[in-house]
Amino acid sequence: MAKAYRLIFDENLCIGCQACNVACRLENDVPEGVYRLQVHVTTQGVFPHLGMHFERRSCVMCDEPPCVSVCPTGASFQSKDGLVHIHESQCITCKYCILACPYHARFINPVKNVVEKCTFCFDSRLSKALDPACVSVCTTEALRFGDVSQENSTVAMLSRKETLLFPKAHLGTKPKVCFIPARKGVKV
Amino acid sequence: MQGSLRAWEPSILKGEDKWVRSVCEMCSSRCAIEVRVVDQKPVWLQGNAFDARIHSSICARGLSGVSQLYDQDRLRTPLMRVGRRGENRWREASWDEALSFVASSMQRLKQNYGAQSMLFSSKTGESFDLLSSFAANYGSPNTFSHWSSCPIAIESALEQTFGERAYRDFEHADYIVNFGHNLFEGLDIPLSKAMARFAANPSKKLIVLDPRFSIMAGKADEWYPIKAGQDLAFVLSLLHVWLRDAKYDHAFVRRYCIGLDALKASLKETTPQWQERYTGIDAKTIERLADEIYRAAPRCILDWGHKATTSPAEFQRTRAILIANVLMGNVEKKGGIYFAKTPEMLNALIQEPLFPLLQSPYPTPEVGIARIDGAGEERSAYRFVPKKHGVLNAIADAILTQQPYAIKGWFLTRHNPLVTVADPQKMRTAMASLDLIVVNDIYMSDTAMMADVVLPESTYLERDESIHLHHGLVPSYTMRNRALTPLHRTRSLHEIVRSLADALGFSHAYPWKTMQELRAYQAKGNSALLESLVKRGYVQATIPHLFLREEASARAFCERYAHVEPRHVLEMFERRRKTPSGKIELFCAHIEKAFEGYGVPCAVDMDVQQNYPYTLISGKSAIHTNGHTQNVPYLHALMSDNPLWMHPSTAKAHGLRQNDTCYIENEIGKEKVKVFLTEGIRPDTLFLYMGFGRQTPLLPKIDRKGSSASKLLPLKTAPVCGAMITNTGVRIVRA
Repeated sequence: MAKAYRLIFDENLCIGCQACNVACRLENDVPEGVYRLQVHVTTQGVFPHLGMHFERRSCVMCDEPPCVSVCPTGASFQSKDGLVHIHESQCITCKYCILACPYHARFINPVKNVVEKCTFCFDSRLSKALDPACVSVCTTEALRFGDVSQENSTVAMLSRKETLLFPKAHLGTKPKVCFIPARKGVKV
Repeated sequence: MQGSLRAWEPSILKGEDKWVRSVCEMCSSRCAIEVRVVDQKPVWLQGNAFDARIHSSICARGLSGVSQLYDQDRLRTPLMRVGRRGENRWREASWDEALSFVASSMQRLKQNYGAQSMLFSSKTGESFDLLSSFAANYGSPNTFSHWSSCPIAIESALEQTFGERAYRDFEHADYIVNFGHNLFEGLDIPLSKAMARFAANPSKKLIVLDPRFSIMAGKADEWYPIKAGQDLAFVLSLLHVWLRDAKYDHAFVRRYCIGLDALKASLKETTPQWQERYTGIDAKTIERLADEIYRAAPRCILDWGHKATTSPAEFQRTRAILIANVLMGNVEKKGGIYFAKTPEMLNALIQEPLFPLLQSPYPTPEVGIARIDGAGEERSAYRFVPKKHGVLNAIADAILTQQPYAIKGWFLTRHNPLVTVADPQKMRTAMASLDLIVVNDIYMSDTAMMADVVLPESTYLERDESIHLHHGLVPSYTMRNRALTPLHRTRSLHEIVRSLADALGFSHAYPWKTMQELRAYQAKGNSALLESLVKRGYVQATIPHLFLREEASARAFCERYAHVEPRHVLEMFERRRKTPSGKIELFCAHIEKAFEGYGVPCAVDMDVQQNYPYTLISGKSAIHTNGHTQNVPYLHALMSDNPLWMHPSTAKAHGLRQNDTCYIENEIGKEKVKVFLTEGIRPDTLFLYMGFGRQTPLLPKIDRKGSSASKLLPLKTAPVCGAMITNTGVRIVRA
């Protein structure tokens, strides 16, 4: 049966330590200067009424991925589990997908000269039933990953309990990555 | 199948793919880790799930252990100085040449000036224990740990109040008051994780007092941008309110404490109104918080922090915080504070040797000569500073004046005082006058630049080490197991010390030659423990968590161990404490005798700004470790600079904009800074992350990048505990 993967990022638990960012680099040999995954920390408000926001930036694995339909060679494709991948050998670096992605998740790997992005660590981990590297190392367990169609999975239970926000939901891209927004601090 | 290819497959065709369990050393939290090693190459690091608190979690620095290992800029071979000291001209040397130079120089200094003319320093941990032993056997009392530049006020306040260390049960607390203990940037995975869960839980309450909007402050229910160094005033007024309203655990204080009257007398004037002008927090807030906190007790913690260097009153500040915990009656209560459940204590309680006892492989004989800083000597200003740890801030003057006796040499193990200790300008001058400086480190450092001999050390991934016992609710044991043999011509401190001890004629002090022998000696031949530690890296027996004054906890423990009765558990708590009075000391008579006004918390020595318009504060980031990791490629890519945090109104007053360059200065120094505008800091406060502004031409990537707060810190220390003070007054000067 096809999987319904979901990655939940709990902003309340995230401390912006960048362990996920470094884990991703180490696991996927991401070259210096480019990122598949970053957490941006911003302070908002006016002293002393402040809030701190943690935004996880990476591919959100859309169910309706704009990057796939614009790809002229079929290099960008969606697997039967709904994961979006790139056939490196078919990528002609035309950058259509980079422009089409509303999440700014794609970039050109300067070493391989092909477009690259998060894969949920599919080849090295997910295909072996291991969590993506970022999820596995997270210092505060702010990331949860699993199959939301499995009723007893952590992500299914969290999804029932928490109000989840899907980034840029209005675009109808139906991301598999979602977040639990911060409950504390000033909202701007 | 003999002879077939399949039989060889794992090792030859597929290559070796194994996990080694060890202990991280990218900072000093010593989290348990697992290293994935493919074909003798470490390729991945993660938390060691044998420590259930850690699971597979690891921080950015921990992950970058691989990046450090393969960094081309690491020291690879011994270096000997050829130019003037600090001139940065070197030649490569063999280990034999380098070590025999060190041994003969140390021998010469001992003959000419006495062994006490050599200083030895390292941060605490295995290298410090080993180096202290080496120093003592050589004959010098002058060992220095990092304590006086970091946690000494806490260690000292705990010792004087309880006679032992205390720990915090963040996991079960309902309410926490945090005085800038930034567990979300100074990471310790088990503690940081517990704190993150706490902060994210809507039914718990976190109050953070910090002049800066830190990550911790960002997670708080309430953040108070307290004026730097004024925690003491806040706590004194909190205590005032409780004592005024008789809100404290009367039975606990009566039974286990001494000095309540002295405390009451001292706090008469420290009203919520009084503290307003120090902290900037209004009196009504104090009244409300005092009430909330008291109602949350005993599942409430006032967190004394990790590093305590905020003001000259640091001993008082930390004592006041400890006493607030005591008055809440949270000692040995779930969600409060507790003392270590040591192997000796648990074995005695359950009458079964469940927890192995270790013996120290590092004999450290008493030297019988006073230290240069007078630490631990009667009548000295530092009489209450442990002899073992010393006062780093006292070194420069002692060298420059050659008082109380000739000081000629310094052996530093991965210690970089020119970055981490106050007034490095003066320290550099002092170092320049020494006859011998030996540094072992994995990178060239500002301090190594001043050395005669630089000994390249193996990184923690290349080192086997001894067993480390961690204290807490349940004792645990960890052991560093190497993931690979050294990539370069590097050695461990054990190998270095063993060779030098041979050459200096005291090899008999060490009953071990190899790490295997050392471990076996330490474990008293307990091969089951050693085997587990080689395989798992982390060993902990599963016993129920025990809070001695928590009835439910004692009952659960007694159910598991039927022959233990609840009264035995309480007796453990009621034993005479290791304080002069045998009780918890709200008032310390012997401290008062030596330091008038310091026997009981009171408002003294709180000013850090010293008539300057701004206070400069500094702190840790989650990306770098003090003065150590700036060159590690992965981490350098994430953070290569440390601009000065400044409030926009402050910048405006000086005509400064984002990214402008200016200077901050005081009577100690002048440092160039780049401006980073943020609403997240008090307008009268400036902030720098630690560890930048280096002077290391051999590491061009980090040389002179960013700014060093240390260059503006005076050598003045906090009374009683000898702590360095890392908040200081400065003015802003246009470039």
